[in-house]
Amino acid sequence: MIKSREIKSIFNVWSILSFIFVLLIILPTLNVSLNLFNETSENWGHIKEYLLLDYIVNTLSIVVFVGVLTLIIGTSLAWLVTSFKFPLSRFYKWSLLLPLAVPPYVAGFTYHGILNYTGVIQTFLRKNLNMNINQNYFNIMNHKGAIFILTVVLYPYVFAIVRSYLAKQSADLIENGRVLGKSPMNIFFKVVFPISRPAIIGGVSLVILEILNEFGLFNYFGIATFSVAIFRTWFGLSDLDSAIRLAAIVMLMVLVILLSEKLMRGRKRYGYTSSKIRPIQPIELTGIKKVFATMYCSIIFGFGFLVPTVQLLHWSLLTYKEILNIKFLEYLLNSLKVSTISTIIIVVISIIIANYSRINENILTKIYTRVTILGYSIPGAVIAVAVMIFFIDFDNKTFALRQMISANTTKLYLSTTLVMLLFAYVIRFLGIGYNSIESGFDKIGKSYFEASRMLGMSVTKTFFKIDLPMIKPAIISGFILVFIDIVKELPLTMILRTFNFHTLATKAYQYANDEMIHEAAISSMFIIIISGVLIYLLNKNMSKGGRRNVHKG
Amino acid sequence: MYIKVNNLSFKYKNANNPTILDFSFSINKGEIISIFGQSGSGKSTILRLIAGLETPKEGSIEINNMIMVDNNTFILPEKRGVGMVFQDYALFPHMSVEENIRFGLKKMSKSEKSNRVDEVLNLVGLQEYKRRYPHELSGGQQQRVALARAIAPKPSLLLLDEPFSNLDADLQAKIREDLKEIITKADITSIFVTHDKEDSIAIADRVVILDEGRIIKIGSSKDAFN
Repeated sequence: MIKSREIKSIFNVWSILSFIFVLLIILPTLNVSLNLFNETSENWGHIKEYLLLDYIVNTLSIVVFVGVLTLIIGTSLAWLVTSFKFPLSRFYKWSLLLPLAVPPYVAGFTYHGILNYTGVIQTFLRKNLNMNINQNYFNIMNHKGAIFILTVVLYPYVFAIVRSYLAKQSADLIENGRVLGKSPMNIFFKVVFPISRPAIIGGVSLVILEILNEFGLFNYFGIATFSVAIFRTWFGLSDLDSAIRLAAIVMLMVLVILLSEKLMRGRKRYGYTSSKIRPIQPIELTGIKKVFATMYCSIIFGFGFLVPTVQLLHWSLLTYKEILNIKFLEYLLNSLKVSTISTIIIVVISIIIANYSRINENILTKIYTRVTILGYSIPGAVIAVAVMIFFIDFDNKTFALRQMISANTTKLYLSTTLVMLLFAYVIRFLGIGYNSIESGFDKIGKSYFEASRMLGMSVTKTFFKIDLPMIKPAIISGFILVFIDIVKELPLTMILRTFNFHTLATKAYQYANDEMIHEAAISSMFIIIISGVLIYLLNKNMSKGGRRNVHKG
Repeated sequence: MYIKVNNLSFKYKNANNPTILDFSFSINKGEIISIFGQSGSGKSTILRLIAGLETPKEGSIEINNMIMVDNNTFILPEKRGVGMVFQDYALFPHMSVEENIRFGLKKMSKSEKSNRVDEVLNLVGLQEYKRRYPHELSGGQQQRVALARAIAPKPSLLLLDEPFSNLDADLQAKIREDLKEIITKADITSIFVTHDKEDSIAIADRVVILDEGRIIKIGSSKDAFN
């Protein structure tokens, strides 16, 4: 039985806002699921018979290869930069994150431009060495090429998580191994690998989710994965019901991934976070090992960041006179505008739900947390379908109501505005902001909050005076992470943008798709510069936050 | 009776057995009570229930004839006028000692607040540390700031959660005496939780011995352990 005192404690600003936000996040997805029960069209029969197997094979084969490769590269690089000193090791500790600034579709058309007939490599071979080359050797627009590109730009997800996980591990673990006379390789496979398992699995899962989300690269390369198939079915065949069915299959895959991640990680989710732990002291590498370590880092950094960036820079210099005009400024401002607005919304919602959930730990808030981070697992194409249907439904259903208020309202209302795009961004990237802010709350614990309450401050006052200043580093990290993702975002922006509205990402993709690779360079460069600078700031913010924590206690 | 606790029961969400079962006792104004028990006996939970940081399943708590909690009432922790010193002190790291103490002072003019800060800092003997930040203080000093902060708003009841657990053993005897002196001087009804008999004997007027959420014995600090 509910006691009267409990009813009062359930309703407050935090709980009501949290409830509304969670409802808004989950409604479109629920709404789209209802359409699953619509009757199938004849297209679906065709898709099922001739295409579905291709979609599955294409998607899964790329997921498996890129998953394994990023696992190996990300983990080994993380181990190298945390346990050893070698030339440039301090630089690579953060700059190996930089490929995150390069969207896969940008890397895709850049490498294509480097390798094709008029590209720098073939031109060089032809003019200077007089070689005529079999074009097949230099064709990157296939499965293998896509695997290569996704590997070199997505490994940082594994690298980042494993690196920060290793940084939190006690040096004792590794040093015990050293004292026992194990070789570094031995330590890597017998100690580092097993203890980092939760982090590695977490990182690889992110990579897989990114692959499922990827649209630009696959569409440009002409590889029919699920994201591409959803678009083609929806816009090419105008068959929404079949697109929804495809989306449901992707979601099934996502569920399998999330579930197996949970099973594989077991209960070890985070490991220690205590500041009392003595971090691993890197040992100096010598001789040939030193050279190999630097070379290995340089090769990955080169492929993932340096090569595409230098090439884009070169193309930018060729085209900036035509491209850098007032129109371009508009695209740049559009990018900054939608990214800033939606990032602020995401951070605010994350803070409200995270604060409410940590104060009231119960089944309801556990569900809230799940729903909040759900969006990041859903590929952009699926969210686009869901949000579009939701808004058109909403407009149709509120039409009569709106007519009562104003006679000259149109049938489509919100679905013709940027609200739809911002809404979709929020659903898709809320999880990124939320994770960051939740871990900020985790770090400070609950006792400051309780101490403030005992000193006569309400939940809301405590939030502004105590919690907010203390979780500032987490808020900054969350803001930066979300912002980077939105600046790079392609599929949602492409589908849900309003007529004639372009961002850097959509413009770069449009140019590249029209085989105007040189013209695509400047927009791409700007995306990379904005994201790169933010990654640098993020890294600085995080190491500062880490140092501050050591003082505590 | 100044504080009345009646038939209090409490169970944590994930626990199988109740942490507190049918807990009743009362305290006179100005008394210093010690709740003694092994870890897991539920002694800290009693403090959290009185503070309002947890909600009991059954029972009621009254302070100075005001119902804090029963089946129909739940006074929020910030409205109870209860002070608490946390086991880890929970001094706000982004505020100086002075700001920490000032934080709980309300409905006072600026100069009144400053006077009160000086007063309590004097009481704990840390006048010179006003501008320091918590991480610049030793463990013992941090504890005294936490105590000063809790006392400053003149709470009707002071709760101390394991006040000695984070301090060096050789300091303990000295700090025990200091604490007793400070609490007596401030003239505040106090409840503190400990797992150390010596603490109870040295400081408390009366001791409540707790085991598995039930009271085993209540008595003067001399009798309780016999």
